[in-house]
Amino acid sequence: MARQRALISILAGVVIATGCRADRQVTASILDDWGRPVVLAAPARRIVSLAPATTELVFALGLGGRLVGRTTWCAYPAEARAVADVGNGIGPNVEAVAAQRPDLVLLYASEANRAALERFEALGMSVAVIRLDLAADLRRAARLIGRLAGDSAAAEVLIASFDSALSAASQAAVPAHRLTARIYVDIEGNPPLTLGSGSYVTEIIRAAGAENVFADLPQPSAVVSLEAIVAREPDFVLAISSDTLRRRASIAGRPGWRSLRAVREGRIVVVPGDLYGQPSPRMPLAVRDLRERIAALWTGGSGAPRRRGAAAQRG
Amino acid sequence: MSGAALQLERASVRLSPALPRQLDDVSLSVAEGECLALVGPNGAGKTTALRALLGLVALESGRASVFGREIGSWDRSELARSVGVVSQREEPVFPLLVAEAIAMGRYPYLGTWSQPSAADRDAVQRAMARADVVSLEHRWVETLSGGEWQRVRLARALAQEPRALVLDEPTASLDLRHEMELFELVIDLVRRENLAALVVSHHLNVAARFADRLVLMSAGRVVSAGAPSQVLTAETLSSVFGWPVSVSWLSDGTPQLYPERKPLKPLSNQE
Amino acid sequence: MGSPVPQWRGVMVPLLLFWLLSVAIGLTVGGAGLAPFDVARALTGEGEPTARAIVLELRLPRIALGLLVGGILAVTGAALQALVRNPLADPYLLGLSGGASLGAVLAIQMGVASPWGMPAAAFAGALGAIAVVYRLARVAGSALDSRILLLAGVVVGAFAGALTSGVLAVSESAAVRSAMLWLLGGLGGVGWTGVLALAAWSAPALFVLALEARNLDLLSLGEEPAQHLGADVARTKRRVYVAASLLTAAAVAAAGIIGFVGLAVPHLLRLLRGHGHRGLLPAAFALGGAFLVLADALARSLFAPLELPVGVVTAVVGVPVFAVLLRRSVIGVKR
Repeated sequence: MARQRALISILAGVVIATGCRADRQVTASILDDWGRPVVLAAPARRIVSLAPATTELVFALGLGGRLVGRTTWCAYPAEARAVADVGNGIGPNVEAVAAQRPDLVLLYASEANRAALERFEALGMSVAVIRLDLAADLRRAARLIGRLAGDSAAAEVLIASFDSALSAASQAAVPAHRLTARIYVDIEGNPPLTLGSGSYVTEIIRAAGAENVFADLPQPSAVVSLEAIVAREPDFVLAISSDTLRRRASIAGRPGWRSLRAVREGRIVVVPGDLYGQPSPRMPLAVRDLRERIAALWTGGSGAPRRRGAAAQRG
Repeated sequence: MSGAALQLERASVRLSPALPRQLDDVSLSVAEGECLALVGPNGAGKTTALRALLGLVALESGRASVFGREIGSWDRSELARSVGVVSQREEPVFPLLVAEAIAMGRYPYLGTWSQPSAADRDAVQRAMARADVVSLEHRWVETLSGGEWQRVRLARALAQEPRALVLDEPTASLDLRHEMELFELVIDLVRRENLAALVVSHHLNVAARFADRLVLMSAGRVVSAGAPSQVLTAETLSSVFGWPVSVSWLSDGTPQLYPERKPLKPLSNQE
Repeated sequence: MGSPVPQWRGVMVPLLLFWLLSVAIGLTVGGAGLAPFDVARALTGEGEPTARAIVLELRLPRIALGLLVGGILAVTGAALQALVRNPLADPYLLGLSGGASLGAVLAIQMGVASPWGMPAAAFAGALGAIAVVYRLARVAGSALDSRILLLAGVVVGAFAGALTSGVLAVSESAAVRSAMLWLLGGLGGVGWTGVLALAAWSAPALFVLALEARNLDLLSLGEEPAQHLGADVARTKRRVYVAASLLTAAAVAAAGIIGFVGLAVPHLLRLLRGHGHRGLLPAAFALGGAFLVLADALARSLFAPLELPVGVVTAVVGVPVFAVLLRRSVIGVKR
């Protein structure tokens, strides 16, 4: 009897020791974007992505087959639609996520998700909090996901091709006008809401060789006064929408907006949300797309507008 | 002038089908130059009778008329130019100056766009003098004592230059002097300016001294009406008020009642 | 001998000057950094096209709208305070801000949130709320019970507010953001057409309130004393309620929900000058308009080029001023 008990405890001790060593092997110290160590027993095989940007990144890394859950808003790529819908990315449905039995949850870095994070941890699920708001975040996020999936090589390949495509697009052979296009980004009309330099769209604009008239505002978005917009004399208005004609008509129809030369002369660029809406490896495509649209509007219209020296310096 | 100024003819009021009538076949009338006192215990229907008379409550049957015309045919403004009413209680919700409050007595005379004229201002001054509230002119209403506020409201009613006065418990918060002064004023107005006065009062003895006639009500009905000496008898009063009352007389024949004492029996020793 | 009752005449002239001053400030201040000289030139039709555009097409209509909306909110606040016999009443107590919010939020959800669609939807929502409250408060024929009016307004507003929150909870983030920004209130949403439409709509209702001014004085004494002094109380209540509702619904449709003006401006005037509505109503209109224009000027220029919601400014600026005056009056510095 005593001998049996001793044998069992020795066996248990061996198993535990082996298990611990295995843990130490895989986890190393992978820290997510909130500085949390992410603990995985093995490379992630069942991934739930709780943000459209990370969903796209997972597919871009060739790991789409391992995705078992995505948010309702994940629309790109088309294959994502086939993955199970687990609800919102901000304020996620913890139960729906848990029902997919993931071994890794990619959570969007937002203060609104702190509570959900605690719930996931309480359930013992491995969570990697990823900040993916700017192009600069893309490389870090790709590397993190690559490591967690045990395929760091895929991440490096993606990053390398992204970098080369981006620099090519920035210097694309599309004839650029001598003057830098000044763009006002339109999110809301009343009151006017625009994007500052802390936003992805501004990065696309910059990479396309143009300028956001409100780039002096550091925050991602801000409510500005219409007269400030008029004073900065943008050449174009950029809006993100799936319904081009409607959005263009709605901007032109706003009371007082005809004070903007760009609106009067029809220089309103409407771009699709799935390409411009979130940081994506397709950023080079967006940059190229924007350059072409600007060039089309500028050469198709009455040419570049007259610039007053003082106005160009303002803002 | 003959003809009643204020008249209820067999008026009945029933506010809710489930309850008994608040007023049951009540008739009373006040002529110009006459002071009528409406008396009775709590819940007798005195205030309801006033409301019915002034068209503030619907009649189930019977008629209410003022200066010969059915109350329904009177415009509110028109009525306010003929009848001055001082209700039991009034609590303005915004701070008010006494002068402002009294000036509102002239509103029935002012057109939508007109300013108060010299005549209006004179009427206000006269009313204030009559009601002895000139010294209170600059005071805020909320700082007045209950009695002072009642006199101010009487002044407002007088500023309306009415032909009839309806007063609901006008002396409830007044001390002896002011109570007597108010009744003397009312009687003076009745005699000298031929006003009709209908006064509701709990103070039977004072009412008996000043009113020409009394109407005694109980449980929505008129129990007795006529001269004070007719109405204020010991048996009637005791049964109406549910308390033993005795009556004695002043030298001029005015009855004065005094309630008997009914001391409580001492508790038994076993308590 | 002069009357001890404070006369409004004495205060109208300073108020008018203040009104004009606020217009001047509204025209010269803003996020575009125009000098007063440029503004003056723009007003006469000369000067840079940009400056002209900013002054004539952006600032001027905003100021006109501010004077109207601020005036409407203050006047209806004053009238409602008398109607429900409560100095803490404000135009939104009628429950219609909840209805307007619901209308606006539904418009955004259904994709009809154009510069005319939003105000129309908000107006429809407000009217719906008014109709429900009116129906609840009607007792014995067509008489309105003031207490029920108050409670019904609060209840209907809360109900509509809950529905609004519910719709927002299942909306996507862009719709939520649109809704929040509209609800916070602003004077930039409707141009000259909107201003003229609002003016045409409000003139009759304002006239009705002016007609009832003396009756409002009487109503503050109580319903029975008011009747004894010649007021047709039921008719007055009905007229004032309908006029106030239509005015506030239109103001909210044009400018969103701007708080504090409807409560504080009339109250301030009551503290400073008294309650005679013949003077109080016009004074409230002037002061409310001027106050809103100044608040909007501040909202546009404080953190230029950023623009604050005007409702935030009205509260932040208004509350301390109001608090000081309240204390002074309560601690007995009565004239």
